[in-house]
Amino acid sequence: MIRRRLANVFKYVFLFAAALLSIFPLLWMAVSATNSSVDVVTGRLLPGTYLLENFRKLAETHNIGLAMWNSFRNALAATAASLVVCSIAGYGFEIYYDKGKDFLMRILLLSMMIPFAAIMIPLFMMVGKMGLLNTTTAFVLPTVSTAFLIFLFRQSARYFPPDIIEAARLEGMSELGIFFRMYVPIMRSTYVTAGIITFMNAWNSYLWPLIIMQSKDSIVMPLLISNLIAGYVTDYGMVMLGVTLSVLPTVIIFLLLQNSFAEGILSSMR
Amino acid sequence: MGQVLTLKRRQNLIGWLFIVPASVLIFIFYFYPIVRAALLSFQTGVGVNLQYAGLFNYQRLLADNVLKTSITNVFIFLIIQVPVMLTLALILASLLNDPNLKFRGFFRTALFLPCATSLVSYAIVFRSLFALDGLVNFVLTSLNIVERPINWIGNPWTARALIIIALTWRWTGYNMVFYLAGLQNIDRSIYEAALIDGASGFTRFTRITVPLLKPIILLTSIMSTNGTLQLFDETMNLTNGGPANATLSVSVYLPAVLPVFTKVRLCRGHLLCDLCHGGCTLFHPNEGG
Amino acid sequence: MRKTFGLCLFLILALTLAGVASATEITVWCWDPLFNIYAMEEAAKIYAEINPDVTINIVETPWDDVQTKLTTAVMAGQLDTLPDILLMQDNALVKNVTNYPEVFYDLTESGIDFSQFADFKVNHTVVDGRNFGVPFDNGAAITALRVDILEQAGYTVEDFTDITWSRFIEIGKDVLEKTGYPLLSAVSESPDHIMVCLQSAGTWMFDENGDVFIADNEVLKETVEVYVELVKSGVLVQVPDWEQYIGTLNRGTVAGTINGCWIIGTIVAQPEQAGNWRITNIPRMDKAPNATQYSNQGGSSWMVLAHSPNKDVAVDFLKHTFAGSVELYETILPSSGALATYLPAGDSDVYNEPHPFFGGQAIYADITEFAAQVPKISYGVYNYEARDAVAMAISQVLQGWDIDSALREAEETVKFLMGP
Repeated sequence: MIRRRLANVFKYVFLFAAALLSIFPLLWMAVSATNSSVDVVTGRLLPGTYLLENFRKLAETHNIGLAMWNSFRNALAATAASLVVCSIAGYGFEIYYDKGKDFLMRILLLSMMIPFAAIMIPLFMMVGKMGLLNTTTAFVLPTVSTAFLIFLFRQSARYFPPDIIEAARLEGMSELGIFFRMYVPIMRSTYVTAGIITFMNAWNSYLWPLIIMQSKDSIVMPLLISNLIAGYVTDYGMVMLGVTLSVLPTVIIFLLLQNSFAEGILSSMR
Repeated sequence: MGQVLTLKRRQNLIGWLFIVPASVLIFIFYFYPIVRAALLSFQTGVGVNLQYAGLFNYQRLLADNVLKTSITNVFIFLIIQVPVMLTLALILASLLNDPNLKFRGFFRTALFLPCATSLVSYAIVFRSLFALDGLVNFVLTSLNIVERPINWIGNPWTARALIIIALTWRWTGYNMVFYLAGLQNIDRSIYEAALIDGASGFTRFTRITVPLLKPIILLTSIMSTNGTLQLFDETMNLTNGGPANATLSVSVYLPAVLPVFTKVRLCRGHLLCDLCHGGCTLFHPNEGG
Repeated sequence: MRKTFGLCLFLILALTLAGVASATEITVWCWDPLFNIYAMEEAAKIYAEINPDVTINIVETPWDDVQTKLTTAVMAGQLDTLPDILLMQDNALVKNVTNYPEVFYDLTESGIDFSQFADFKVNHTVVDGRNFGVPFDNGAAITALRVDILEQAGYTVEDFTDITWSRFIEIGKDVLEKTGYPLLSAVSESPDHIMVCLQSAGTWMFDENGDVFIADNEVLKETVEVYVELVKSGVLVQVPDWEQYIGTLNRGTVAGTINGCWIIGTIVAQPEQAGNWRITNIPRMDKAPNATQYSNQGGSSWMVLAHSPNKDVAVDFLKHTFAGSVELYETILPSSGALATYLPAGDSDVYNEPHPFFGGQAIYADITEFAAQVPKISYGVYNYEARDAVAMAISQVLQGWDIDSALREAEETVKFLMGP
């Protein structure tokens, strides 16, 4: 009895410690956003009174609003396109299984091995020739279809009850109709999971936007942060504020959707 | 009989239509560029003046000692970090699997958050925390775990440890959520039966949990291995490959040295990256099946 | 009647077309809103009065990203994605011009008077005898010192002026003993300190033919010895990264620093230390034959892209601002500390103003004087590779290797990277 109590206490201590270690750097980041640069550099741990000052300086020298909007727009577009294209492909690979499709799937999985740096320049050339430089389309296109997402959706389609499909067919529903009216609503949590992952990756994307961006109106948050630390004199309070702001959207989205997120992976792993 | 076949074939064709957009996109934006890069890897020269150079580039690559160091580094990270992280994630997931646990939502969120941050964000934070007079050293010396502050970035092995700590911090929560989902699948009755049979917590973990989670463990292992082999962000921003190339990773070194070797940036190095990772693809078909 | 009407129409059309045709936009890639970008904006204002049809479009881009975008664009053959003007780090200028010929516009006969700039700075922008850059910010090296700490040990800034490194180390040990403060701090693994000393003796890691000059470079060996002595005696304390380095200055855990003059911007960020700093020239190498008290660290220059459709306008713009306007340099100095290498500016009143943070010392005038005496060297195409190799060597020596072996290995590495 005592041993169990002890084990219980130990369990909570361990979890609290792990949780604290996980969020401490982020907390420190948020706290630093309220301090002056000198304070941050000298390692101050307590919140300060410089939040408004840092914000004012940041807003004066950089267009945060535009960067946030561009990041949002790009990430949302990439997410929407990805979800549609990859989910229907994953569904297709599983529900209409045949050897040919399976073989194709394995080939597609190889693409996960390709590092971005290797294809960066050919991609840039291609996008340039298509005349799409500096557009949201250019940002989205190379990332719309990823083997990982197709895989995720395929796994969830594996556990989609075939009876529902049969019943829908008997009622005369088209295949596409079955996908949109039956699969999508039931697999909502998988979509949430895939959406969060894609949104996160698109939001934090740095190298690709850097290359295809041709005017300062296309700036996105990661590039803005990088601008902040590029000078001779860096205002670290301002930088931390910028960084906190850029992390906020993904954090908020996850907080709001976290229940569905766990469910989503669950449903694809059954 | 004939009618059934036609229906099935029709459905099959529709299936192909479903997968065509995604597949075509991957061919255009992944495979085509890498093939072009591979072709260029057999050439040398400036810009448009490319000549066929055969294996010349590869020969020079193989003679490069720094490259060998970077490959060694990546493997050190791989061998240590991936198992440590996945084990930790598994343990955390098991602990969080208890429906009676209080603050479950808080723990899950807190542990997942690190992977939502971008690197620039936490690089500065981590560097400050692990500075000579940073918080970590402060805590270590106060608790008398060490006598003098550790120069994390200045010493090859502590620098590697720092990278491993950073990677673990960032990705444990991510993997943990995968395991959590898998665990919630396992019927509680199996555990109860084992408990009645007198199995300890440890035995239940190793004999029931781990085997049943095999597919997920395999998936996360592959993803983590893939990620570590392509390691760039942490080694670039936290330690800048130092000290003395002790934490230099392949993805950082190759793009930096290639324009120097040949004037064409996309070259053999990238193909080599793929060959390095190629080993992993052997596992993929099994997993995907 | 018809003729007049037609004429009017023609005139209106011509004027409209002329108005449309002459509105030019010059795109500039540079970084740092407080420094380079600010200078560009002021230059744009000045030029607007000379040529109102030109707008300067500044796209904020960090240096690493400028290099990435430049390389990618050239490799992909997409030269039209490049700007009209970009800011280039002097350390990388020769490499970029050599690797990407015909990408940068040769400014030698553009009408810009390069004799108005500090010699050493112009030299950094010259490749094969042709000018490729308009020199901009001044990286002349200074020794900045906390005189309040020095006072405790009985020293003044004069004791640090025109001295040798052995004398510096001697004083440093004394100050350390009496006050507990090291004189300097530096980022470990960074070759900056060695580079500053190397240039101060008029030599570099490559000789005049572009061959590697590391293993047999006696001056380089001496600079490494000096650095090791500084670290071992505790006169120089090493820190892991840049933020920590700034921390030592702002927190006051060191009594000084040796760096490019742009470090002043960081020093003055700490209001608590106002009035306690002075600057002077840097120590000279004891044994090197051409040792001086002057050197350079960093700095950048404006370059024009050759394929730009507006390159003539771009050149004209630079000629009238960065290469011709004392007013520009006077304007940007007070708020940004942006020091020029434009010699006429050094004569102006603004440059001779006493600086309160430095106890009334006319630091800008002093620095401009230093800049005029910096030895000329060429950084070379493989500059970054050599710097990295030497940094590795320093690290090895500090871990116990003997200097000759470490430098030999560094030379092998660079030779390997330079290829057959």
